[in-house]
Amino acid sequence: MAEQRKKFFKPKVAIISLTSCEGCQFALLDLGERFLDFANEIEMMDFRLLEDEEDAGLKLDIGIVEGTPITEANVKTLQELRKRSKILVVLGNCAAMGGIPEIKNYHEGANTIKHVYKYIHGINNPEIKEVDNFVKVDFTFPGCPINAEEFLKYMPEIMEACLPAGRAEIPQMPDQPVCVECKAAGNKCLLLDNKPCFGPMILGGCNAVCPTSRMGCQGCRGLRPKGNVTAMRQALKRMMTDEEFENTTEIYGLRDDVEDRIKSEK
Amino acid sequence: MASVVKGDVKSAKLEVQEGIRLIEGVLIGRHYADMPIVAQRICGICPVVHNLTSIKALENAMKVQVTPATKKMREIMELGQIIHSHALHLFFLSLADFLDMDNDIQLVKEYPEEAKRAVRIREFGMAIVKVIGGRVVHPLTNEVGGFKKVPDEEELRKIVANSDEILKEALELAEFFKTIKVPDFSRVTEYVCLGKRPNYSIYDGDIVFSKGLHIPVKKFEDNFQELQKQNEVIKKVEHAGKSYMIGAIARININHSKLNPYAQNYLESLGWRFPDFNPFHNILAQMIEIIHSIEESARLLKELLNSDLNEVVTKPYKVMEGTGVAAVEAPRGTLYYHVEVDARGYIKNVNIITPTAQFLANLEDDIAEYIPGILDLSNKERERKLRAFIRAYDPCISCAVH
Repeated sequence: MAEQRKKFFKPKVAIISLTSCEGCQFALLDLGERFLDFANEIEMMDFRLLEDEEDAGLKLDIGIVEGTPITEANVKTLQELRKRSKILVVLGNCAAMGGIPEIKNYHEGANTIKHVYKYIHGINNPEIKEVDNFVKVDFTFPGCPINAEEFLKYMPEIMEACLPAGRAEIPQMPDQPVCVECKAAGNKCLLLDNKPCFGPMILGGCNAVCPTSRMGCQGCRGLRPKGNVTAMRQALKRMMTDEEFENTTEIYGLRDDVEDRIKSEK
Repeated sequence: MASVVKGDVKSAKLEVQEGIRLIEGVLIGRHYADMPIVAQRICGICPVVHNLTSIKALENAMKVQVTPATKKMREIMELGQIIHSHALHLFFLSLADFLDMDNDIQLVKEYPEEAKRAVRIREFGMAIVKVIGGRVVHPLTNEVGGFKKVPDEEELRKIVANSDEILKEALELAEFFKTIKVPDFSRVTEYVCLGKRPNYSIYDGDIVFSKGLHIPVKKFEDNFQELQKQNEVIKKVEHAGKSYMIGAIARININHSKLNPYAQNYLESLGWRFPDFNPFHNILAQMIEIIHSIEESARLLKELLNSDLNEVVTKPYKVMEGTGVAAVEAPRGTLYYHVEVDARGYIKNVNIITPTAQFLANLEDDIAEYIPGILDLSNKERERKLRAFIRAYDPCISCAVH
C-alpha cells in the first residue's frame, strides 16, 4: 500500500499555525533530514517556517494545524482550513487542549488582560476554546510539544486514508499510560518517591520524556480513555493539596477534562 | 513569525496577526515552580533563554544561591541555543533573500554542501540543549536551585569530541558567507547588550550601551520604557525616547574584543570598522557568534568534565518573599524578567520584556530610511527587499506578543 501511494499519489498538505510558540513546527523541523524525506512524499502547500509564498487557499488532502484560535483571523483561518481539507489533523497541546493560554479561563478570565495591557479596546480577548469547538478534528497529535517521532509513525497511515480509492481508516493511538514507556526506560517511579506524577492517567507515546528527566508528568498529552482519574486523584492526595493538584492540571488545559471525567466516574 | 509589511515613503509599520496569550497575566497567582514551565512556552525557538531568565529572576527574588557549576551548565545551554537558532536563521530563514532565491528548496538544491554544514552546526547546538535539558523544544531539567538531574557524562564527552569537527564546518560555512553580497545600507543607532569584563557576556553581566552608559540589570525598567498604543498587542520599547538595537550585531559591536580566537580571526578578515551600523551585517554577526559559541561551549564543557558534575544538582533552599530581576542574552538580544513572589512562593507580579519587542522600533526606523532608496523598484521587487530586510532582523512575533 505504502509503495503504491508513494508512486502514484502525493497528498496535498498544509501545516498552519494559529497563536502559539510554534514549538510543534520546530519539533518537526528538528527531525532534519527525516522531515525532508517526509516532505518529499507530499506536496507541501503551506509551511511558513520554510517558505513564505502566500497560501493560495487550494483544496487539501490533509490540513495540519498548530496553536490556539485566539484572534478572529485565527478562527477564520481554522474554519477555512477545515473546508479545504479532507482530513484535519491537530498538532500539539494548544490546539488539542487549549494549552498555556487556557490557564486564564480558570482564574480571572477576560480580566487577565488588565495585568498586561493598558489599552484593551480593540484587542481580541476571548475565552480560550480548543480547536474542536470550532471544527471537526480527525486526528490529534498530543503533547507540548508533540513527539515528532509519533508524527512520522502515524502520518503514513493518515496519508493512506486519503488515497483516492483508499479504504484505510484513520489510525488510533493505543490506550496506554505514560508509565509503560517510563518503566521501559528503566526509570525509578517518581510516585514511589512521593513525587507527584500524572503518568498513570495520561496517554503515553511521549517516551516518558519528563519522568526520564526526573520531572513528574503534568499531563500535556491529555487523559487516556480508560484512565481512572478518581483513583489517581486519591493516590496523589498524599503528595499534593487540592489547590496544588488543580493548579498543575491547569498548565496544559487538563483541568476541565479531569473535572468532567471525575463526574462521569461517579 | 507571521508579519505583514506595509510601507509608504513616510512611515513603516509592522502588523501582526498573533493573538494574546497573556503569559504574564496567567502567571500571577501561580506557584513559582510553574513559572519557567509556562514562560518558556512563549517561544518554541528560544525556550532555553526564557527558562534560564525566569529561573534566574526567581532565584534573585528568593535569594537562592547556585553553584558555579550550575551557572556554567546553564551558560552552555544558552550557547547551544544560540548556535542552533543562529544556524537556522542565517542559513534557512535569511540566506535565500541575499541570493535572490524564492525559497529554501532552491537554496538547498544549489548549495547542498553548505546546507549540510548548516544542518550539522544546528544539530550540534541542539545536542547540547538536549543532553543538558532533556529535550530541545521546552527543556525539562533546569529549575530553581539547580538541575533535577546530572547530564549524562558520556553524552557530554561526545559533544566535546565533536566540537573540533563542528568548528571546522563553521569556519568553512563562514568563508562561504563572506562571498554573500549584502545591501550597502547603514543608519546610526544605539547598541545595547550585556557586558562583563573579561567575558563575551551571554548569561551574566550589566546592561552596556554603545554610547557609554553602563547600568545594573535592576535599573533596566528605569532606562527602558515599554509603550503600548491603542489596538496594538506588542509593547515596543524605547530608551530615552529613541529606538535602539540589540542582538548579535549589538553584541559584536560592543563586545568584539572579547571573542574567542577563531571568531576574532574571522571578524578581522571581514574588515569591519566599528561602530558598524549596517543592519544586514546581523547575519554575519550571527556567523561570528556561532564560531565563538562552539569554541566557548567546548571550553566550558571541558572545565565541567574536569570537576564534579554532581555539583549541578539542586540544593535545598528556602522559599521567601522578594523581588528579583534577571537578564540573559537570547539569540535575538537581551531578554529581561522581573518577578515578585510572596512568602508562600506564589507570584504577585511579572514583567517580561523580549528582544523582538525591544528592536521593533529600530526596525521600523531603519525601514523608513531604507524605503526611499528602493522606491524605483516594482511593487513585487520592493516587497521582496522589505521582506529580506525584516528577516535580517530575525523578529520573533511569538516572543514579541507573548
